[in-house]
Amino acid sequence: MDFQHEAPVDEIKRLRRCLNDLVSVLALPAMWSGREPAQIIDRLLDSLLGMLQLDLVYVRVNNPAIEVARVAPSQDRMPRPEQLCQAIKQWCGPDPQKWPPLLRTSLGDRDISMVPSRIGLHAEIGVIVAGTARADFPIQTELLLLSVAANEAGIALQGARLLSEQKRVASELDRRVAQRTSELAQANEALHLQAALLQKVPVAAWTVNPDGTPAFVNQSWLEYTGQTLEFVQSSPEAWMTGIHPEDREEAARRFWDGIHTGQGFTMEVRFRRLHDGEYRWHLNRAVPLRDEEGKVLRFVGTCTDIEDVKRSQENWKRAQEELRNTQAELAHMTRVMTMGELTASIAHEINQPLSGIITNASTCLRMLAADPPNVDGARETARRTIRDGNRASDVITRLRALFSKKDASTESVDLNEATREVIALSSSKLQKNKVILGLELADDLPFVTGDRVQLQQVILNLLVNAFDAMSTVDGRPRKLLIKTEQDEGDRVRLTMKDTGVGFDPETAGRLFDAFYTTKDDGMGVGLSVSRSIIESHHGRLWAAQNDGPGATFAFSVPRGPTAATSADSIRAMQNPQWTEGA
Amino acid sequence: MTITRSLVSVVDDDESVRESLPDLLREFGYAARTFSSAEEFLGSDCVDQTRCLMLDIGMPGMTGPDLQRELKLRGQQIPIVFITAHKDEAIRTRVLEEGAVECLFKPFSDTAVLEALNTALQVN
Repeated sequence: MDFQHEAPVDEIKRLRRCLNDLVSVLALPAMWSGREPAQIIDRLLDSLLGMLQLDLVYVRVNNPAIEVARVAPSQDRMPRPEQLCQAIKQWCGPDPQKWPPLLRTSLGDRDISMVPSRIGLHAEIGVIVAGTARADFPIQTELLLLSVAANEAGIALQGARLLSEQKRVASELDRRVAQRTSELAQANEALHLQAALLQKVPVAAWTVNPDGTPAFVNQSWLEYTGQTLEFVQSSPEAWMTGIHPEDREEAARRFWDGIHTGQGFTMEVRFRRLHDGEYRWHLNRAVPLRDEEGKVLRFVGTCTDIEDVKRSQENWKRAQEELRNTQAELAHMTRVMTMGELTASIAHEINQPLSGIITNASTCLRMLAADPPNVDGARETARRTIRDGNRASDVITRLRALFSKKDASTESVDLNEATREVIALSSSKLQKNKVILGLELADDLPFVTGDRVQLQQVILNLLVNAFDAMSTVDGRPRKLLIKTEQDEGDRVRLTMKDTGVGFDPETAGRLFDAFYTTKDDGMGVGLSVSRSIIESHHGRLWAAQNDGPGATFAFSVPRGPTAATSADSIRAMQNPQWTEGA
Repeated sequence: MTITRSLVSVVDDDESVRESLPDLLREFGYAARTFSSAEEFLGSDCVDQTRCLMLDIGMPGMTGPDLQRELKLRGQQIPIVFITAHKDEAIRTRVLEEGAVECLFKPFSDTAVLEALNTALQVN
């Protein structure tokens, strides 16, 4: 517009009006303060429409995304606001550089002039488009007003955004605080619950400071002893007054040891129960609670009533004793059982020398009846008769010794001799079962200290088992190897290796169980009793499968204290007790 | 021609028997040789000359009945008198079925031995 042609009066009027409008525009923020963007825009549109007597006004804001077009009420032939928005968006796209400063177009039946104003320096906040049919639009003052309004709007919208952001942050903070508060409340509740549990747990629980002064005792403790918390805390040894007088000294010793070493303690003491004055055994244990550096913070302990357990222990000890007695009975029964198995063999053993006696005696008579009598021959037969008589007597003695009931005795035992005797007793069974016996008895086998009869019983048991294992074997020779030798660690070992049916590795663990048997008529007491006997000799009895067929059973017992060995017994045997008489 | 005593061979692993029987057999007029195992007997030079065999039943290695079978296989017709300490009628029946002359249970009397030998050599 050309202001140079304007009359001064009109110019003053115009400028005054412009000033009024500016004041109004500058008053806008007061109206907008604290409002949401949508409301700000609403006011802006209304103000601009009125102030500049526009026919239409359009505002687009980027954040939050709002797009509004408003038409002056007097205009009813204008396109609808949505259509206006679309048209203007095309004209005022994303790049402000491309916007024309002024556009004349026809809308409805009128020619409209439209002017865009950036909100924000680069229209980053948005844009206002003002449009009117007035031919002289826009004059400079109008442009000024538009630009000021746009600035104010920009500031207000930014402020609104900031405010909304602040609100969001504040509400987030509130939410977090609320959550945290709730968590703490829960933790607190849990803590209370734990503290309550500690009080209620049916075991006396307590804590003690690193210097031995009591910190806390729970309800269970106080109820049992009748002591009060103040009493317990009055001195480090106050709680010990509840201990049985005989146990007090030891208890104090263990307590202070545990405290000073920082390791805690374990003790079994009798505590007096309040309601009946009875002393009951308790297990009192403490463990240290340490910080990251390993320093003791507290000792935490429990005191558990073990009176019933201890009574059971005593019953247990008594039961064990009874068990030992039963085992002795069982061992005797085993001998009797084995004797049953060897009944035929026993008769056999006796019959051999008996037969010799009868034959020799008969021969003797015949020799004496000859003419002339064969005295030398008779003498020889008589001698043999006596010797066979002695043999028979030996067999009976050995058998009697083996099968008589005796308490365990302790003596020096030569395992080689013991083994030979057992073999002699079983020689007929060996023959009957066609067993090829191999003997590897160490010459200088040390004596062992123990019960000779019991050890022979074990050897006999192993022997009988070996026979039985081989009794069904046909396709291969029945070999039994019995070996004695020194074992490491000052022990003596006897090994019996057969070529029988062996045993299943799965049943290996049960071999030594009482009453486990693979025999149809077996009672299965042999191996378990044998093991007991060996163990009572501080030895070990075990079984292993062979590389080939069959099994190996072996036991190892400690040698006796003397230096005597098998070699000594052989020397004794070589000096016979009786001489052959003439 | 020399007159020699008829040979009775005794096979028994029992020492008492090997000591006592030969003297008795000699009193009866026989010659006697003893062996502690069937294998020893078979390995000796007495097999053909043995007129009667006194044989233990139960021995380790080759048993009495085993030897009985073996001699049969070899076509050796030696009469056998079994002797055993194990009184078992079933075994006695079996060995008699297999052709033994007699089976005596220890301890046996001298007359029992004589009767058995007579039967054995009469059979031959």
